[in-house]
Formats: sequence, structure tokens, C-alpha cells
Amino acid sequence: MEIIDHLATGFMAAASLQNLFFCLIGVVLGTLIGVLPGIGPIPALAILLPITFGLNPLSSLIMLAGIYYGAQYGGSTTSILVNMPGEASSVVTCIDGHQMARRGRAGSALAIAALGSFFAGCVGTVFIAAFGPPLSAIAQQFNSPDYFALMLLGLVMAVVLAHGSVLKAVAMVLIGLLLGLVGTDVNTGLTRYTFGISGLWEGIDFLPLVLGLFGIVEVIRNLENPPGERQAISTRLRDLWPTKQEFREAWPAVLRGTGLGSILGILPGGGAVLASFASYTLEKKISRNPRKFGHGAVEGVAGPESANNSAAQTSFIPLLTLGIPSNPIMAIMMGAMIIQGIQPGAAVMTARPELFWGMVASMWIGNLMLVVINLPLLGIWVKLLSVPYRLLYPAILLFCAIGVYSTSTEPFMMVLMIVFSIFGYILLKFGCEPAPLVLGFILGPLMEENLRRSLVMSRGDPTIFLERPISAGLLIATLLMIGMIIFPQFRKTREVAFQEE
Amino acid sequence: MTKIARITRRSLMMIPAVLAVTGTAPDTASAQNYPNRQLNFVCAFPAGSGADVLVRYFAEKVSAVLGQTVIVENKPGANGNIAAIYTARAKPDGYTVFVHSGTSIAANMWLFKKPPIDVVKDLRGVQFINKQPFMIVVRADSPIKDIPQLTAYLKEKNGAASYATTATAGKVFGESYKQLTGAQATEVSYRTGPDTMNDITSGQVDFAVLDPVFSISQARAGRIRILAVSSPTRMQSLPDVPATKEYGIDIDQLGWWGAFVPAGTPEPQIEKLNAAFKQVLETPETAKFLNGFGGDVYIGTPQEVQTLLAETVAQWRDYVAMAKIPQN
Repeated sequence: MEIIDHLATGFMAAASLQNLFFCLIGVVLGTLIGVLPGIGPIPALAILLPITFGLNPLSSLIMLAGIYYGAQYGGSTTSILVNMPGEASSVVTCIDGHQMARRGRAGSALAIAALGSFFAGCVGTVFIAAFGPPLSAIAQQFNSPDYFALMLLGLVMAVVLAHGSVLKAVAMVLIGLLLGLVGTDVNTGLTRYTFGISGLWEGIDFLPLVLGLFGIVEVIRNLENPPGERQAISTRLRDLWPTKQEFREAWPAVLRGTGLGSILGILPGGGAVLASFASYTLEKKISRNPRKFGHGAVEGVAGPESANNSAAQTSFIPLLTLGIPSNPIMAIMMGAMIIQGIQPGAAVMTARPELFWGMVASMWIGNLMLVVINLPLLGIWVKLLSVPYRLLYPAILLFCAIGVYSTSTEPFMMVLMIVFSIFGYILLKFGCEPAPLVLGFILGPLMEENLRRSLVMSRGDPTIFLERPISAGLLIATLLMIGMIIFPQFRKTREVAFQEE
Repeated sequence: MTKIARITRRSLMMIPAVLAVTGTAPDTASAQNYPNRQLNFVCAFPAGSGADVLVRYFAEKVSAVLGQTVIVENKPGANGNIAAIYTARAKPDGYTVFVHSGTSIAANMWLFKKPPIDVVKDLRGVQFINKQPFMIVVRADSPIKDIPQLTAYLKEKNGAASYATTATAGKVFGESYKQLTGAQATEVSYRTGPDTMNDITSGQVDFAVLDPVFSISQARAGRIRILAVSSPTRMQSLPDVPATKEYGIDIDQLGWWGAFVPAGTPEPQIEKLNAAFKQVLETPETAKFLNGFGGDVYIGTPQEVQTLLAETVAQWRDYVAMAKIPQN
């Protein structure tokens, strides 16, 4: 029972008064950052990094990690309440979470998201403790051809995200792919589709795109047709809490989401983002009633929220075991460790066990704190919806503007956000949903890079994708997925799922 | 051009929203009381990147020496050009300091058809920070133990080998090595070091030319072996790794970081900044920090920085032509 010894070491280290305090600061800050749309965890962590120079290594890592998963929690709040995803993984939560809020089930959606995240966070933590090293060995097996196949599968799944016509969803994915091509091409170093605008050299920024397409379009939509039954929001606990029926629908989705997220989270690159999208696709595919997805399906909130939280936990595995940061946030954590004189990697586990296991244990404590902090706040968040429009909408616009401007202090980012707001409004009028576009935008560049890399390595021979078992397996899965979309006999309910709305 | 100028000037007037906590005092930039208000360090990388960590480290330490708040402004984009333009157009009063790779600033003169600024004329060097080489690496269980074996292996493969690179400096080092030894291999470009790892350890690529931060951490973890560094002599922080010159391959490609201010900044301010950075660079803590980034501490006078900047610009004209790097 080595793992229990390890966890005991960890809890002893993490449960010191000082570390509990920094854990609390971390998760509270994280929740705030997550709730304030546009101010993402990356700039927040970077700004706070110098403060951690003076702390002991464990306290500083506990605080930084707390900010990260606290922001994951907080991010779902704005997605559900005002349809404004702060980061890629909460885009999916918007689809059904916001619909639930529009139907007066905001409290329930928030509670399910919080409980699902807590459960997923706990499982993710155990995952790190029990299977960290073997899991990272699996992640190491992924080469360029395998990544290409994984991204391709992800893009096909994106089509299932939409509840409208398949054709429109495919078009959205393709537009997302094209938008993802803007910027400097890694292979040649040349810029593409930048039209001489220096703000586009590094590609289109994620935040203006997503806040324009989701947040601002939502404001415009509500201004056009104000939701009528809006005064009827009740903040009685009985109405905030999920019903028995909702619980019954949610828990299997939480289990599946947690499993998917724990596994996809360890893959460097788009792993954590893929997790929430994959979970949504899975829930919709196996649901007896896929038609309710996009109209406030409980599983559409429970699954992806659990998936992104467990992925947030397991994305620490490559950093802690291999010294490889799997996303920009992990890169900051790596920077924090290097500053403290700790070289991230497997050596941390043997040389500084109290540090490694202390961090793992702090994640569990932090997740518990988040639930304790967030559940009583449910009523306050839901009341936020009864703020008059004339105050709520300018506030949303203001936060979008601050968030977008503060990440790069480039006024051009505002221009981009306005362009995407207009584009998003046109999409709304044509009945096209932006979620598949976002997935195409994120996965497209990764897919292209890995495709070209694989072909350079094979001297242009495409069989490289079939020779490797992982990529061949993923390509077969992709074909099956396409089959399920094209041939109705695979699923009786397909006509229902893809009916023109 | 005019568009960039307008954007930059406008952004100068706006106080970065997130950082709008500190008010700015009226500008009285005379030598005696400099610095008497907050300084801005410009970082050409997004918040949270490895290079951003380095800039923030110096912001923190220099702030303590000068007794003034130092704020890091992230101006990423266009291969560092956005930050360079921003610095060049800032008021030359010693309150805007660009902490960046001098190599990258110099290389940008040749990576663009129309470089937006003339770096030697528009920027003024203040102090060095570090020097760091790029590294040729192979996977840890590779039978290749040194550079001559790698060269022999590549010649035997006769063009059927491939190698991973990151960054322009990696491209140039790899290309120089191939041309000077007559070895052949196909280059595969990656965005970052971590992206290359699985393809290196699985043998999809035969070797790689990587940045020092990532190479050193992975070499310590026992996943790769560093065969050579691009510096003319061995690095103090890596005494066991030979320089390519030791094998008779004439490569001297040392990357260096420094601090820069807009041209026209008064000498006393430059001297004061130079001394503040020097004081930070001389601490053992900084040496340890910079070693973690795979480089040695590098200290000099403002004039030496300016001279090296001009030399690096000249070198890179040849590199860009040799490695056939397309211009934007």
C-alpha cells in the first residue's frame, strides 16, 4: 500500500496551516479570475509569479495550482449564466449550461457543474497518485502521425457538437480550420493571411475570437428578443438544487466525463480541450434522447464539466513525471519550479517526495474548498441574472473589453473582437453554431503541423499513418465516426439528432 | 508602417487595464533623481512563457536595487518586432527597458524584407544578461556518442536521416553543421522543445537541434544526450559538453540576452541602469537562475552591448542567406 504512504506524506505536508492558507488564497483567486470573463488564468498566474519567489516551493506551487483549477471552476459560472466562455474548455459548457439557465435552471446547472467538477477533481488526483508514471509512459508513445490522427478524430467529433444541420457544422469546422491557419507557419517561418497586420503574426488570438462569437453575440441576441419570463427567478434553495431526475441524469455522465478527461488530460497539446468536447460528443451519441442536447440537457453540462476538471488535474502528470509542460499554464508552473531551483521531472518524486505528494494532496484539499466556497455562492450567482439588463450588458461588454485588452495591451485585439462579434451575429442569423468553429480553430493548427511533420519524416509517404498502431487505430475510429454521421442505420435516432431545427 | 506607429502611440496613452493600480508621477527625468517613478520592462513574449519568467525575474530584482516599482509589459508578436518597435518609439527617458534576446533583435533585420526599425540606430544597449548556446542532441539510448559518430552516421544514411529543430537559431545551427561537415539530413520544424520529445525518443528523427533550457532539463532526466554546443568554447554551466569547434567545425553561434532602451536615452540614465543590472547579475542567485535557463551570466558595458549588437546583425545576414531562411 505504497500509495497510501505517499498520500499520507502528502497530506501531512499540504495540511500545514501555512499551506492550507495558500491553497485557500489560490482557489479563491482562481474562482474570481474564472468568474471575471476575459481575465484568464494565464495572465493572472504570470502576474502572481514574482510574489511566489519569496515563498517556500511547496506553498507557491500549491497556490499556483489552486489558481489554475479554481479558474476551471469559476469559468463554468460565466459560461452558464451569460454564455461567455473564458477558455476553450468551457465553450462546451455554454451549449447546454446556458440553455438550462435560460429555462430557469441556472442554480441546478451550477450545482451539477460544481459537484461534477469536485468528483472529477478527486478522481483525477487519485489518478495522478496511482498511475502517474505509467500514464506518462503512454503519453510518450504519441508521435507526430498519432497526433495528426487524434486531431482528425477530434474534428470529426466537432461536427456532432452542433444540433443543427450536419452541413452547417462541417462548414463551421472548415471556417475554424481556415482561421487557425492565420499567422506564422512553423515549417517555413513565413506568415499566412496576415495582410501585413502585425497583430496577426502569431495567429488570431483565442480570447477576442471566443468572446466575440459567444459573449457579445449573446448580448446582442438578448437585446433583440429579451427573454420574457426573466423575473420569475427564484433563489429558494429548493429551486437552486438539482431535482432527483436531474441527479439521475447527471451522475452517469459525470462518471464517463471523468474517465475520458483523466485519460485525455495527460496528452500534451490539445488534450484537455479535447476532453470536454469528447465528453459532450459521447453523451450526445449514447443518449436515448439526443434531441434535447442544445436545449439544456443535464448530461451536456455534467459530462464536459467533469471531463475538463479531471483533465486539468491529470495534465500535471507530464509535467511532474517527464518535465514536459502540456499547456501554457503548465509551462508557467514549470517556470515557477525552475525559479525555486526544482528541475521538474521524475526526479521530483524521488528527491522531493513531500513536494510531489504535497501538491497532489493539496489538489484534493483545494477541490473540497472549492465546493464549500461555491455551493453557498449559488444563490448569489443566480441573483446576478436578475440584475437589470441596462446594467448587466454594459458590464459584460466592459469585462470582455478589459479581458481582451489586458492579455496583450494591443488595441488591435479589440478590433478583432468586434469583427468576430459581427461575424458571430451573421452566424446566428444563418442558424450556424460557433462551437464546432472553435474546435476547428484550436485543433486545426496542431493537425496541420503534425500532418506536415509526419510527411516530411516519411519523405511524403502517407502510409506512415497506417504503419503506426496508434494512428491506424485512431483513423479507423474516425472512419467509424464518419459512418455514424453519414449512414442513418447506425443509429435509429440519427434523423432526430441532426434534424434541421 | 504608419499604421503600426499609430497603434503604438495610442497604446502608450492607455494605461494597461490590469496593471492600472499604480499612478504615474509627472515626468522629471533628470539624472540626479532618476529613477523617481515606476519603470516598465518590455517583454516580447506572452505572459507565462519561459522568457517571460526571465524578464519578470529581472523586473523583481532590478526593482529592489533601484527602489522603484518595475512593471512587465508583454508585447508579444511578429517575432519580437512589436516589442522592439514599441521600445524604439517610447520616450527615451530610461523608464522603458526592453529585456530580450539581442540575437533575435539582430536577426530580425534580415528575417524581414522591410525591417520596421534599424535596431543599431533605434535601440541602445544597456547591459548583457546571459549567453546561451543551442545544442545538438540525440536520444539517450542512441548508439551515437559524439559529433564525429553523428557525422559518420548521417553520411552512411546518405540523406535518409531527419532531424528536429526549434527556433531560427536551431535552423541556423543545424544548417551550419550540415554544410561544414557535408552531412545530409531532412529538417523537421517544431514550435517548441516539448513538441519534439516523443519524436526524438521514439527515433522518428535521428537527432535534434534544441534550445538549452529544454535540452538540459531532458538530459538531466536521462532522456536525451547532448553532443555539442554552438558556442566557440564550452559553457561554464556545462563543462562536460564539447563545443563543435573542438571537432574542427568552425561554428560560433552564441545567443545572448540583454537590456535595451530607446536611442537618445541620456548617458547617466544608461549608466545607472547598467549598474543596477550588473548588481543583480553578480549575485550567486542570478547565476543559478540563469544556469537553469542553460546560459552563463554575461556582464559588460553599454558600449560593449552596442558593439556586439552591430556584430550580431552582420553575422545574421550571412546566416539567413546560408540557411536559406525565407524573408517575410
